[in-house]
Amino acid sequence: MESAATAVFEVLNFGAIIILVVLGLGVIAGMMGIFNFAHGEFVLLGAYWVYLFDEWKLPIWLGMLTAPAVVAGVALVLERLVIRRFYAAPLIAMLGTYALGLAIRETVRALIGGLYRAVPEPLVGSLTFGAVHLSKWRLAIVVITILVMVASYLLLTRTSFGLRVRAALENPSLARVSGISTSRIYAATFGFGAALAGLAGALVVPVFSLSADLGIRFLIQGFLAVMLGGVGTFEGSVVGGGVIGILSAALPWAVPPVLADVLVFVIAVVLVKLWPRGLTAGRTV
Amino acid sequence: MRLNERLHSASGMSRRDVLKTAAWLSGAIATGAGSWAIRPQWAHAADPIKVGIATDLTGAIGYAGNANANVAKMVVKDINAKGGVLGRPLDLFIEDTASNESVAVANVRKLIQRDKVDVVLGGITSSMRNAIKDVIVTRGRTLYIYPQLYEGLECTPYIFCTGPTPAQQCDELIPWLIKNGGKRFALPSANYVWPHVLNQYARKVIGASGGEVIFEEYYPLDQVEYSATVNKIMTNKVDVVFNTVIPPGIGPFTKQLYEAGFTKRGGRLSCVYYDENTLNINAPHEIEGLASCLDYFRAVTKLDPGSAKIQAEYDKAFPGKIVFAAGSAATGMYRGLRLWEAAVKEAGKVDRDAVAAALDHARIAEGPGGPAEMVPGKRHCKMRMYIAVAKKGNYEIVSQSKGLVDPKEC
Repeated sequence: MESAATAVFEVLNFGAIIILVVLGLGVIAGMMGIFNFAHGEFVLLGAYWVYLFDEWKLPIWLGMLTAPAVVAGVALVLERLVIRRFYAAPLIAMLGTYALGLAIRETVRALIGGLYRAVPEPLVGSLTFGAVHLSKWRLAIVVITILVMVASYLLLTRTSFGLRVRAALENPSLARVSGISTSRIYAATFGFGAALAGLAGALVVPVFSLSADLGIRFLIQGFLAVMLGGVGTFEGSVVGGGVIGILSAALPWAVPPVLADVLVFVIAVVLVKLWPRGLTAGRTV
Repeated sequence: MRLNERLHSASGMSRRDVLKTAAWLSGAIATGAGSWAIRPQWAHAADPIKVGIATDLTGAIGYAGNANANVAKMVVKDINAKGGVLGRPLDLFIEDTASNESVAVANVRKLIQRDKVDVVLGGITSSMRNAIKDVIVTRGRTLYIYPQLYEGLECTPYIFCTGPTPAQQCDELIPWLIKNGGKRFALPSANYVWPHVLNQYARKVIGASGGEVIFEEYYPLDQVEYSATVNKIMTNKVDVVFNTVIPPGIGPFTKQLYEAGFTKRGGRLSCVYYDENTLNINAPHEIEGLASCLDYFRAVTKLDPGSAKIQAEYDKAFPGKIVFAAGSAATGMYRGLRLWEAAVKEAGKVDRDAVAAALDHARIAEGPGGPAEMVPGKRHCKMRMYIAVAKKGNYEIVSQSKGLVDPKEC
């Protein structure tokens, strides 16, 4: 009974972490048609920013609050300098963003001396219910993920910014004719996706410790989640991220972990085969 | 549809541009940077002996490779300052193996074919050793010294190993763990060769010392979610977690184990590659009481004046983030260079067979952790071993082997 409760919590928690990481990737891939291979490094930058706050002896939560803005700022500069030149050629954009990611990753590696660094969580300790221990910070991640999901959804579906983003996605020429600056919208969308990545990095770094490869660890799972959910939709990323995260954490409870790792991919491939346009195709924003 | 529209609506890179860039880039990558030759000022005076170092200066384990290169520079500088070996100066050639086996093979070839070195030291992971050993030993007809702690079983002639083996890491540690932890062991491990072979040996010692293995389980190298494993450890009342999970998994694993209350209920955590570099992966309270067993810890400087001298020399030459630690092969590198120096002196020449014959029984009176000597015919190194326990973010030596521990290899 106790281990069942623990299992459910831990599995949900990892699902939430993957959703958090995938959201920004999904927004950029879905709204802009760019597969951002530097996404993992935006996650890393968010994590590194929080680590700096720890180094400077400033409050960790302040680092977490400011991380999205900082990462969005970096992303906007990169968008203006590099990414926008690739909008016409998504395939080359993959290579371009991969190169950017590599540059960021190796820079951070040099800055932290290639080692792993622990970052303390702002909420220490566990909640205890009988024999079940729930880490407070992991619980906080689940709650924040739900809030971010709802807020992002409302932003994209209920605001005029969201409407313009979707317009620029549906039909760029018509959007431009209607007086929407698609170039600015793309920049803003890219910044928004990066901000989500920065937030994800900032929140998960106490759980996983900081290392240069923190972000790239989630990249493959992230792309798998986006494919699974369906490219071009917001719900797709959430559903895809949830399915991948929950499968990754739940399967090791049932089968040997090495087998579980492969099974996640097998199940994902089967699902993509059954729903080629994604699990959420036809029911989208 | 969307894609096409965008392709026509903006001017992007043409295919020719892409090809041009790709050609330029691949040229830059192929020729590569990362060779260093360090010559003493009197190199012209006599025919120099060429020492080749192949180590991971860049990439995922760059922190370890740079420590190895630093140690080599320090030792070679010291040897040259004292008149070299056989009256000849040492030329140091350092090549980057870049944490990448295919890059490594090409760069190690440079050491052998272009620089024609007399000995190669280096390689950190076993996969790296396996990738470069043929280039050095078989085709290159050169002596190879491998400095890292590893799973053993490397018995190729002309390869000499100067890091600890499973026997050296387990024989002292496991009885200590049973005494200071309990009898019920769990062996959670990363799924690659070192943990598999180490666990085989560890199982034998656990059984012989009166303990039992509750479970032994392997995880993908990049797994970061361990709730199922932690639950198994907690519900099966495991006393000792003898783990060989590696980064990135080790951080979250240890954290989840701590959060589940393993250490609080008196459980003992152990990890045999843990040194000063890995202390920062977790917060100090999460690894409080973690036991490791290595040939050297910084804390040994308090017990052994020879170690203190080496550590001080290193800190003076290389202050900063790249530290002198046993888990990154830096101590094995020191030992390897000094043993090789002793062997060349005895042989009186740098000819491979003559040096190998002398290296077979070479010994040094002073090294990191104390004296060391090769076991004749085994090409592995006897050395002193220390058990250290993490206390408030540092190690405390709790036990030291009586004499030199046998590697029990080959």
